[in-house]
Amino acid sequence: MRIRFVLPLLALGLAAGPAAAQVKLLNVSYDPTRELYQEVNTAFAKAWKAKGGQDVTVQQSHGGSGKQARSVIDGLEADVVTLALAYDVDAVAASGLIAKNWQTRLPNNSAPYTSTIVFLVRKGNPKKIKDWDDLTRPGVSVITPNPKTSGGARWNLLAAWGYGLRKFNNDPAKTQDFVKRIFKNVPILDTGARGSTVTFVERGIGDVLIAWENEAIFAVRELGDKGAFQIVAPSVSILAEPPVAVVDKIAAKHKTAAVAKAYLEFLYTPEGQEIAAKHYYRPRNEAVAAKYAQQFPKVSLFTIDQVFGGWTKAQKAFFADGGVFDQIYAAQ
Amino acid sequence: MRTLFVWMFFALVALPAAKAQETPQEAPQETAQEAQEEAQEPAQPATVEERLDELDQKIRVLDRKTEIDKEAAAEKAKTAGQATASKDGFSLKSADGNFVLKLRGYTHFDGRFFQSDDQRPATDTFTLRRVRPIFEGTVYKIFDFRIMPDFGGGQTVLQDAYIEGRFTPAFRVRAGKFKPPVGLERLQSATEILFVERAFPTNLVPNRDLGVQLSGDFNGGVASYAVGVFNGVPDGGSADGDTNDDKDYAARVFFQPFVKVGGALKNLGLGVSGSVGKQEGTLAAPGLPAFRTPAQQTFFSYRTDGTAPNTVIADGDRTRFSPQGYFYSGPFGLLAEYVTSKQAVRRGAVSQDLEHKSWQVAGNWVLTGGDASYRSVNPKKVFDPAAHTWGAFELAARYSKLELDDETFPTFANLASSASAAEAWAVGFNWYLNKNLRLMFDYEDTSFEGGATVGDREDEKVLFSRFQIAF
Repeated sequence: MRIRFVLPLLALGLAAGPAAAQVKLLNVSYDPTRELYQEVNTAFAKAWKAKGGQDVTVQQSHGGSGKQARSVIDGLEADVVTLALAYDVDAVAASGLIAKNWQTRLPNNSAPYTSTIVFLVRKGNPKKIKDWDDLTRPGVSVITPNPKTSGGARWNLLAAWGYGLRKFNNDPAKTQDFVKRIFKNVPILDTGARGSTVTFVERGIGDVLIAWENEAIFAVRELGDKGAFQIVAPSVSILAEPPVAVVDKIAAKHKTAAVAKAYLEFLYTPEGQEIAAKHYYRPRNEAVAAKYAQQFPKVSLFTIDQVFGGWTKAQKAFFADGGVFDQIYAAQ
Repeated sequence: MRTLFVWMFFALVALPAAKAQETPQEAPQETAQEAQEEAQEPAQPATVEERLDELDQKIRVLDRKTEIDKEAAAEKAKTAGQATASKDGFSLKSADGNFVLKLRGYTHFDGRFFQSDDQRPATDTFTLRRVRPIFEGTVYKIFDFRIMPDFGGGQTVLQDAYIEGRFTPAFRVRAGKFKPPVGLERLQSATEILFVERAFPTNLVPNRDLGVQLSGDFNGGVASYAVGVFNGVPDGGSADGDTNDDKDYAARVFFQPFVKVGGALKNLGLGVSGSVGKQEGTLAAPGLPAFRTPAQQTFFSYRTDGTAPNTVIADGDRTRFSPQGYFYSGPFGLLAEYVTSKQAVRRGAVSQDLEHKSWQVAGNWVLTGGDASYRSVNPKKVFDPAAHTWGAFELAARYSKLELDDETFPTFANLASSASAAEAWAVGFNWYLNKNLRLMFDYEDTSFEGGATVGDREDEKVLFSRFQIAF
């Protein structure tokens, strides 16, 4: 009985904690989305406040998409993920942090904007790069990140593969040799797309950068001297659909589920779509897409479902240990 | 640098290349296959400028690879745990610091050499007084744990085993087996005490007990408190369970009023501690202590023969009270404490409250290279004969006494075998070779009142030595 006094003291001490502050979200994203989400975060915080919500601060984390997914699985407490490809979100979902049906919870397979893969070359295109074939030429130095860690790099390889299948009448052996010759010209593999941009733009390495379209336009307009780079659109490329999802368990733990959901839904609003387009992502909203149509080159696009049967199959065949990429790159 | 590189290029690459261009082609005709193979090879730069560009690209690639490797290493360092080894022990730590495992420990290799022990011969001996590996660490940032067994004397005893939540500096919760917050010298680590053995007051305070304790510091240590509930062990005792339903409540407040202000009184500490409880012994477990000399010889014990008429047992309230304090200034230190322990006892039908008292005053003087401290001496220069540095030397002196309640004799103890008081003088010399190694040499003379068939028990005169390694 005499120890009764201990329990209230204990409870008092345990309950004494910092008072609830403003709402904070952590958006774990892939490499080239820094600038996009900086603007999205500011706009969303303003819109959320205007709707009567709390003050919202969104923190950002960027890196190679696969590496980012692994960080979330390993304990990085992201409220939302905005990754480069659905496979990486699936990996987080497989860990139990995100509901399995995440892709159906938002429109367009939870991909509020799209992009594609293009080439960035130096002023005047000195190596005369026009299409994927030119990347196999001896003496052409190609910059692309590591598909093991970068979602963008995986899109790059699959885009080249899709072109190869068309060129060689769906002959996988010839296509693999074709892609292998491209990678033979790759002197360095960065871990993420932004790292490859730094390699090409700031370090002056390579003749051509295989890049996200948004990253290529960003480089042309905002990096280096004006006119130092130009974009070459290949004849065929892949439709990249970077998905977004609320990390349910973490958001529930942080009590941020509602604001996290609203944050992702904001990306689909005209304001969110406008911001995406300003940062050179292809918007889903038709009106906004029409407004910015001039900044996106015309490219014949195929989807990952059409050519590879979806990300799960593509991941297993190309990027799992011992897959096509290992066969291509280990042989060098 | 770039100029040098260009000249090197010309010397090593361009000139031999130019010479090769002068060599006539021996096989001008190529087969179709050879042409195809050649097409697969990297194109050879035709001009010096192209070769220079190629070499420049190679250097840029190498630089960038180095840069990426550094970035990868830095990234890995953020997420990789750390393994460290230092004078403070060995540790494993997660990247965020939330999980820590430390391997620490200490060993006391002692010598006890009795002088003039004709009437009560004791064995001169070397002994492993303490052999204590310590496993301690942190889980989930705020929960600490400590496990410390002791293999000293060839026995295995679990000394400490507890977890502690550090919720705020002013609010910590500890549960398990550890030292209750009573006494002053008792709360010092065995690696930090001034003499080989603690003084008499430690006989009257609990050693280790099982319980739950709240503790904390205020204003950067100006004031601290600890309050807890424990099974309740006899004076000087340590146990792994209880023998009755009642519990002891222990508390301590301690003040270092000038610790933040600094100045000459910065290391002045004053406090008071105590415990209250009710203990009921049995014939099998009387719940009463025996008291020992500094050389660990028993000089007092209650009457016992396993029968109710002749066995003294704890029989009611027990209170301890201990004002205490220390003062350290530069190389000088002074530590003093006073302890009373009052216990209701019973022998057969005779009951009595007995109050035993003890006190000590100890002073030390660090002769060279270090400041005196409650937390031992950290020598400014470690022992290194090649550099002619010798660590730190310290002189120490101590007086302590333990007086038993007059009512103890003859009903509850036999004056022919148990002394009614013990008084000890000690001098010591400590050599701190470094933070981990210490050599100790003490001489202690203890005199007794009673404790012998005729007159007083023979004085205990002991020369102690200790080789201590702690990490």
